[in-house]
Amino acid sequence: MKELAGRLTALDPDAGAAVRVIAYFDRLLETRAGLEALVRGAAVLAGCPARLADEKRGVHIKVDADGRRADDEGPADPAWLSAPLTPDGPPALWLEREGPAGVVDAMVLERAAASIRAVLDRTRGSAPADAAGDQALAEVLLDASASETARLHAARRLGLRPGVPARAVALAGGQALIQSVPPSGAAPPPGDPRAGVGPAVPLLGLPASWSAALVALRLTAEGTEQDPGPRVVHADQMGGLAVLAAAIGPGSDPIPDVHALDRAAAAAPWMLATLDAVASQSSLRTAATALHMHHSTLQDRLAHAEQVLGWSVHGPQGRLRLQLALALRRLHHHAPAAAAVSDRPG
Amino acid sequence: MTTPSSPPHHDRLSPPPFDSELAAALAIVAENIPSSLLPEMIPGLQSGAVLMRPSDDDLRRGGAFEIEERTVPGPEGAPDISLLICRPAGVTGPIPALYNIHGGGMVMGDNRTGIEATLETAQELGLAVVSVEYRLAPEHPHPAPVEDCYAGLVWTAEHAEEIGVDRERIIVGGSSAGGGLSAAVALLARDRGGPALAGQLLACPMLDDRNDTVSSLQMAGLGVWDRTSNDTGWTALLGERRGGPDVSPYAAPARAEDLSGLPPAFVDVGSAETFRDEDVAYATRIWQAGGQAELHVWPGGFHGFDIMVPQAAISQAARAARTDWLRRLLAR
Repeated sequence: MKELAGRLTALDPDAGAAVRVIAYFDRLLETRAGLEALVRGAAVLAGCPARLADEKRGVHIKVDADGRRADDEGPADPAWLSAPLTPDGPPALWLEREGPAGVVDAMVLERAAASIRAVLDRTRGSAPADAAGDQALAEVLLDASASETARLHAARRLGLRPGVPARAVALAGGQALIQSVPPSGAAPPPGDPRAGVGPAVPLLGLPASWSAALVALRLTAEGTEQDPGPRVVHADQMGGLAVLAAAIGPGSDPIPDVHALDRAAAAAPWMLATLDAVASQSSLRTAATALHMHHSTLQDRLAHAEQVLGWSVHGPQGRLRLQLALALRRLHHHAPAAAAVSDRPG
Repeated sequence: MTTPSSPPHHDRLSPPPFDSELAAALAIVAENIPSSLLPEMIPGLQSGAVLMRPSDDDLRRGGAFEIEERTVPGPEGAPDISLLICRPAGVTGPIPALYNIHGGGMVMGDNRTGIEATLETAQELGLAVVSVEYRLAPEHPHPAPVEDCYAGLVWTAEHAEEIGVDRERIIVGGSSAGGGLSAAVALLARDRGGPALAGQLLACPMLDDRNDTVSSLQMAGLGVWDRTSNDTGWTALLGERRGGPDVSPYAAPARAEDLSGLPPAFVDVGSAETFRDEDVAYATRIWQAGGQAELHVWPGGFHGFDIMVPQAAISQAARAARTDWLRRLLAR
């Protein structure tokens, strides 16, 4: 009398089992069962452990095939059978068994996921799934003046787990993203905007991670011909550039080297991209490869560039000067954001 | 009182709702078990179509238990009975034992019915299990079943040393009809000056042949072992005497006038089953008689929910409560 899974598989798999799986989850929903009962239903009907992980809502439930709650979960195996909670969403419900899925497994996954979605919408609202709700929570979490209780509550709602380090990511356009470290598969933001990535810190240290992320964002570039450079900068790799960033405020006058870069940019469309490659690659040969041009073409262009700039970029000192000028140009382009999130533009 | 035919004021008794997980599982686990069992269905059920019989290997639990079937004398003038003895492997010296009486409404099952859950608990606590095979109604009406059970208990106590059991720590227990028979065996042991029991574990016990409580009326046609099934079981055991004035307390322990001087009792039952009211009353009467009882009423539980749907959260809690009681009892 004990194996629900055995009873199901013993039934006619095409009709009997499917009908019973549907009835089982429908009945749980009718009687307003909780998430754990739904995950347990998936586990006992499929006869293997099942887990639900919804990072956005901070829901983590694992239940063994015998119905016992087990929360010592390692990472999900990509080979396991899984289902998303939304049609295009990431996997959120797993049966800890490799495919191919039998008729019962597929039906269990489909009905369990649909039921879980219904319960989540009922009990937690769909708000956390929308960006505005997440932004409001992120702002609390990144605000050093908010109480620790409020910040930890916001962290929980964002799906961050106590004791797991996290980092703030500043996106071009003003949005904040908070990721646990290592990132647990949080989807990359749509369109991959420029991003400054703060260092990993304990949850209550996130305001500092955010400040560093904002500085890193100022050092990013569009990665286009007119604004070449990295689209993502990690704060913990900035080194002394962070000090330089602090020195450049909205009213600071650009130094002559920055004006020189602007002149160079105006002189030829390829100019800035060429200089950036020379500044960031380890040799002129690798720079030529990165630019998809012949080594001698690069030599010719650099001769032109050095004329406009007024200094040689062939030696180490000239390249450092070029690197600093490029960094300063970005810092001037991206006016410093205010330190507090709530004051950020837009 | 004789078979009350649903008096009008009971027609609209609304039953307590089933627990959510139990309700969902009920359709799957109980599809072979109709709520209402009729006498003509007994032969089919006795043939074992419903109750899965664990193999010797199942009972050994991967080598955790050594098992042995012993044929021992039955009641005076009656056939021998069989005891299934399961001892933790490699354990010497006297250990506590659970004397197990299987369920099955007095009309079905054998000494392996439902024993796997009992062995799981026994393994956790280091207990031996002695499970008795008793004659079934209607072929063998009262007092055959209870006298078989009692004879097996007496043999177990008298041969405790031989089978490595501590005779001071024998607990009688069972589910459903097995719970009722356990209560009856405890009464017999008291009244005949038989083996001193350490406790009685009465899981959703079948205690009262009158079958006229509010819970039996509420659950008519619902869940597992409804009022009709109960009528079928008791009538098989007692025939015409069922519900009448002269039913022995050793057949239906709810009939006992005196519940004093009994071993500590554990009683559990679901709120959504026929036996709810008679089981609660039995525990209450033990307290009123100055005895010791622990009572658990599991909300929304149908009859035998923890055996049929062991994975449900409420079933895990019910089994844990039983294990905890045994642990406390044996720690004395």
